[in-house]
Amino acid sequence: MILTAAIYALAAVAAAATLLMIFQRDLVRSALLMLTALLATAGIYLALSAQALAALQVILYAGAVMTLFVTAIAVAPGAWKDKPPAGRLARLLGLAVPALLLTALLQATAALKLVTVSPEFSETGTLDLAMDLFGPLAWQFELLSLVIVASVVGAVALAMNRRRA
Amino acid sequence: MSSYSLGAISFALFALAAAGFLTCGSILRMLMFLELMLNAANIALVGLGPETLSQAYAALLFAVAAAEAGVGLALALAAARHLRTQRTEGMTDLKG
Repeated sequence: MILTAAIYALAAVAAAATLLMIFQRDLVRSALLMLTALLATAGIYLALSAQALAALQVILYAGAVMTLFVTAIAVAPGAWKDKPPAGRLARLLGLAVPALLLTALLQATAALKLVTVSPEFSETGTLDLAMDLFGPLAWQFELLSLVIVASVVGAVALAMNRRRA
Repeated sequence: MSSYSLGAISFALFALAAAGFLTCGSILRMLMFLELMLNAANIALVGLGPETLSQAYAALLFAVAAAEAGVGLALALAAARHLRTQRTEGMTDLKG
């Protein structure tokens, strides 16, 4: 019961932070709102007994990725900063498409109403997670290392081009 | 609570992030909303999938998101430096 209430409360916090981000014009405040949404998600993982994922969420998303964003905001010159947003029609279309998508997704998953879950606090060990990562998902896990190497090489190549320019 | 509620939470977060992505028009903000969309997908994966396997997939998605943020921000900054703007309306030229 408490965990269910916690999931709803944290989801409301994440949704409110995302909604405020849409209307927030200051980039640094937007980054702080994004951090709030990410930390609320970590709380949801914790309530769903995914402790390792909650830790990963705080370390990777709220830590590493947010540091990248704050650094990017800091190094972008003031002259490039935001101007007033696009026209009203473009904004209306931009809001209508996700609303349609949400409606379609909710209709498509209506059958899930019959499936009940009662969140109970249990420990999902990192050993179980590792057994899956190095067992049935070993191929995907190894492939992911290639993706990360490619992204690191790409980022370094882009930075070197910038230095030469 | 039903699985539908968990799905609805993640779909709502995804839709909100998608709305921000489509309306903001600034490349840095778009990357932020993209991360939030991936985040919402992760919630669906953990909430709706079988116990540890879905969590393992979510862990893989974390790494994909981190890689995407790194190279995405490098690309965004390079494009913004070249075109002197973060607004996507000004980014109509693909020639370097």
